[in-house]
Amino acid sequence: MAEGYANDPEWADITPIELNDGSDSGAMPLATIAYPSEYLEATSYLRAVMAANEMSERALNLTKDVISMNPAHYTVWIYRARILFALDKDLIEELNWLNGVSLKYLKNYQIWHHRQVLISSQTHFPSMPAKEPDFLMEMFAQDSKNYHVWTYRHWLVRHFKLWDSPRELEDVEALIKADVRNNSAWNHRYMLRFGPRDDVPDAGMVNAGNADISPEEKGRLPVVDEDLVDAELKFAQEQIVRAPENRSPWWYARGALRAAGRGLGEWEGFVGKFVDGDVVKSSHAVEWLADVYAEAEKVKAVEMLTMLKEKYDPIRKNYWDYRIRQLEEVA
Amino acid sequence: MQNPTGGFGGGHGQISHLAGSYAAVLALALVGGEDAFALVDREAMWRWLGRLKQSDGGFSVTEGGEEDVRGAYCAATIISLLDLPLTLPHDANKAREAGFKTLTDGLAEYLSRCQSFEGGISGSPGVEAHGAYAFCALACLSILGPPEETIPRHMNIPLLLSWLSARQYAPEGGFSGRTNKLVDGCYSHWVGGCWPLLQSALDGKPQSSGAPPRTVGNLYSREGLDRYILGCCQSPSGGLRDKPGKSPDSYHTCYVLTGLSATQHHHYRTNTSITSSDNFASAFSWQSSPVRTDDNVYDKADRLVAFHPLFVIPHQAAANMRLWCEGQPIAI
Repeated sequence: MAEGYANDPEWADITPIELNDGSDSGAMPLATIAYPSEYLEATSYLRAVMAANEMSERALNLTKDVISMNPAHYTVWIYRARILFALDKDLIEELNWLNGVSLKYLKNYQIWHHRQVLISSQTHFPSMPAKEPDFLMEMFAQDSKNYHVWTYRHWLVRHFKLWDSPRELEDVEALIKADVRNNSAWNHRYMLRFGPRDDVPDAGMVNAGNADISPEEKGRLPVVDEDLVDAELKFAQEQIVRAPENRSPWWYARGALRAAGRGLGEWEGFVGKFVDGDVVKSSHAVEWLADVYAEAEKVKAVEMLTMLKEKYDPIRKNYWDYRIRQLEEVA
Repeated sequence: MQNPTGGFGGGHGQISHLAGSYAAVLALALVGGEDAFALVDREAMWRWLGRLKQSDGGFSVTEGGEEDVRGAYCAATIISLLDLPLTLPHDANKAREAGFKTLTDGLAEYLSRCQSFEGGISGSPGVEAHGAYAFCALACLSILGPPEETIPRHMNIPLLLSWLSARQYAPEGGFSGRTNKLVDGCYSHWVGGCWPLLQSALDGKPQSSGAPPRTVGNLYSREGLDRYILGCCQSPSGGLRDKPGKSPDSYHTCYVLTGLSATQHHHYRTNTSITSSDNFASAFSWQSSPVRTDDNVYDKADRLVAFHPLFVIPHQAAANMRLWCEGQPIAI
């Protein structure tokens, strides 16, 4: 499109709609955007074909041109999706093109919503395209905590009911093995293991969003597979040993115990290994012990919280003080 | 700029989008005055919001676009500032099929489903807890009703408090957006802005005098955040930034500044609202006073104005727009 649209016979019948930023009304735009001329021309033709609701090959090519210059232009993506379905285009081919765009522009809402719109088509994709997990791992190789990609992957699990798919767990384990601090992967694991399934509305924890159930009950499973919980707790312990100051597995373990309706006390022995008098290997272990002691030994709980406040996590002093005040009020 | 069939788009020829509409409404509130307020076609905005309302209670950001907590917060801001009718428009098909009667039905429950097992709040249900979405969700809940009612009813508070507190790191002093991610200046607003809302929820019902209520006090380190902002977020070439080594931009400049303002003021609710309407009365009942301590690390000249903790524009700008709109009810 080096010659531009104005000189292209294919576009001769279209009268472009020039950018109107309000300056023709005499108003002074506060902050004019310095668009490149190629972008101004392409979007002028885009406005014209969109106004005519044109569903054509040339319009599809035009959307690709605009996307290449501005992938955050949400309107062009929605228009593109409509054309793809109207012309019954090959969506696998679209996905292949989209993969390249995704790898080039990592922080972008539109790309991943577009992918979700395509894959949502039951007629085209009654089951998950086989290469999808491979591509997502390619994305994670660029940025293993990419929020858009994880949001999409979570949607994919719900859409194709992949909670027990071996591949999901394999990928999560590989990512945690590569970076034990990858909290996004830990979150995905929690959703596979303890998240709501099937027709239960999607939520970060079960029992959420129901006016009859107190938020205290969030995350508590109605039916517990104790073997699975034990296996998850063992996995968390193995990961904690690798990096004791890593918050992710500590909080994953709390989530697993909460799901099972089991208290923190059963880990007292394990946690104690990280707190030996003045030798503290993990502030999370100190916090864990504070929560265990809060049940019956308030003085010891306050002692733990004071250690956090004074020595191991003093930037959060006000929070630890609040926790201490709460214990003292109850006592 | 407003589309006849909806809200504001991101530019000429673009379909209506909640982020652009949110920005446009706030910009008009900042400009102020009848000429600015009258520019908005509030009835078209109301009808369009009905079409964005989804069957799970949340809002998509544009027709055919993604649904997330940004959508919920932007919609609640627009509805409350423009005093739009709460009744669902006739063509709000998805919301009507789900059994909802109003634009706000099911919205708080949707946000409740966005709390993750870590205690923080994600962009959509089931995803990782994230500071920016946490602000959107808590601000939305605090627009829907008094925070001491809406936040404990829909969020597990001890989990939320623990996660939010864990966003502040030493030695940086600044906030991260997610567990095991780095500190970034923009979370001075997103995470910093959560604190007054959560503190207000813990403080409980406002007392009858106009004086600041008994309070749990400030639960994070103001000094730590101030030092990070002043010492690390200022670019030598002007503007504010994520962290040293990064370039300044308008996004970080905006949110580092509003974060700095939040550290410099106590925000609290009173039992009097500027509106006499029942809808969103508590959202218009906030006041603030400057933090006065001897150990402030900023100079007097660096004290910023207080922003409304939900709409993040000056209090008077929000009040003026709301009151003008109340005086021009929409006949539906």
